[in-house]
Amino acid sequence: MTQPEARFGRMAAVQAHPLAELMQCPPGAAGLLNGAAQCICVDAGETVFRQSAVCRGLYVVVSGQFLRRTERLDTRLTLGLARAGDLLELAAVLGDGTHTYTLIAQTTGSVLILPLQALNQAFEVYPPLRMRLLEELAREVSRSYDASCQNRIPKARRRSSDGRAAQGGGSASADLSASLT
Amino acid sequence: MASFHPHHPPEDCINCEHRHLRVFCNLTPEALRDYDGIGIMMSHARGAKLFSEGDAARNVFVICYGQVKISSTSRDGKTMILKIAGPGDVMGLSAVLANVPHEVTAEAIEPCQVKTVRKQEFVDFLGRHGIASMHAAQSLSGEYLTVFHDAKRLALSGSAAGRLARLLLDWGHAAANGKPEIRFTMALTHEEIANMAGTSRETVTRLLNQFRRDQWITIKGSSMTIAKPEQLERLTA
Repeated sequence: MTQPEARFGRMAAVQAHPLAELMQCPPGAAGLLNGAAQCICVDAGETVFRQSAVCRGLYVVVSGQFLRRTERLDTRLTLGLARAGDLLELAAVLGDGTHTYTLIAQTTGSVLILPLQALNQAFEVYPPLRMRLLEELAREVSRSYDASCQNRIPKARRRSSDGRAAQGGGSASADLSASLT
Repeated sequence: MASFHPHHPPEDCINCEHRHLRVFCNLTPEALRDYDGIGIMMSHARGAKLFSEGDAARNVFVICYGQVKISSTSRDGKTMILKIAGPGDVMGLSAVLANVPHEVTAEAIEPCQVKTVRKQEFVDFLGRHGIASMHAAQSLSGEYLTVFHDAKRLALSGSAAGRLARLLLDWGHAAANGKPEIRFTMALTHEEIANMAGTSRETVTRLLNQFRRDQWITIKGSSMTIAKPEQLERLTA
């Protein structure tokens, strides 16, 4: 098998699994999660959560389109889009509990939050749920390894304080797409 | 990339005095007894490959001491160093749990001791102990953040000096483990550091010499001490 074929096969194997399959639980755990779930509606341009802030729980995009963005001082990096059905911040929920990036609504939309406390209770009631989310995180890590290698040195451009792309920039958008999805 | 060379490497997990410093191995007594009974402890010489990109993921590897270079190949065939794994790091976890071949290559850059656990044995162990699956989740989350920060470091640091400074600080802080002195073993060549910092070998050599002249760092053999971390921090801004 050639290297591109091998990579294609690996990428197919690490595709995100459907949400319904991941979150399938017996009534006890499902009741806990359903009872605690909160829905947030947002307008275009609104920030859902910010990088480095404490993560409230697992986010599920219900409708609309969202932008995942990371920033440092005056430079921003767009990591990719989040659409309906996407599960967000697994690494934060299962790991150190802080957001790894900022999520901004690109269109009017809504997200569902499964609070951390309810998730932890559900893990105790139904341990396979944690294992399933762990496997999903493993697939996400696997995808990010691949994306990281394909986009090893993206050309970063800086924004001046008034928001215009600084010298060296060319296109209208000052973001760069690293597609670290 | 904390480099740690104990005079007496731990013979088993129960008697390992460094366990409490590590994310995965810091288990409850019951889980620890179980963990001690699975897998085997293996010593690897410098240069030994623990696994290669594309290999079937049959084992999970937990580094007890030593450093391991994690690299991958780009579409154009270039080898890129993603991170230097150190004691307590779990390797091969994402491939094992996602049930895919290894995404990366792991090569010892100094003599190291690694606990090697068969895939099914490891998955069963996680199933038996909630604390172990929690720690595995934290390790995996750490792995995700490493890849994420690597991309961020390259994309968001404006200058080569800033990227190199960030790299040195990351390694130094990992090795210092809260101690005031920031010292670590530099097991990579300038070429390899350049690869990680997204710059050329010549630039790395020039910048390290400059940092040394400015007395921000001191280098003795393969040991590097960061004397003025605040100056390096300023470069990364």
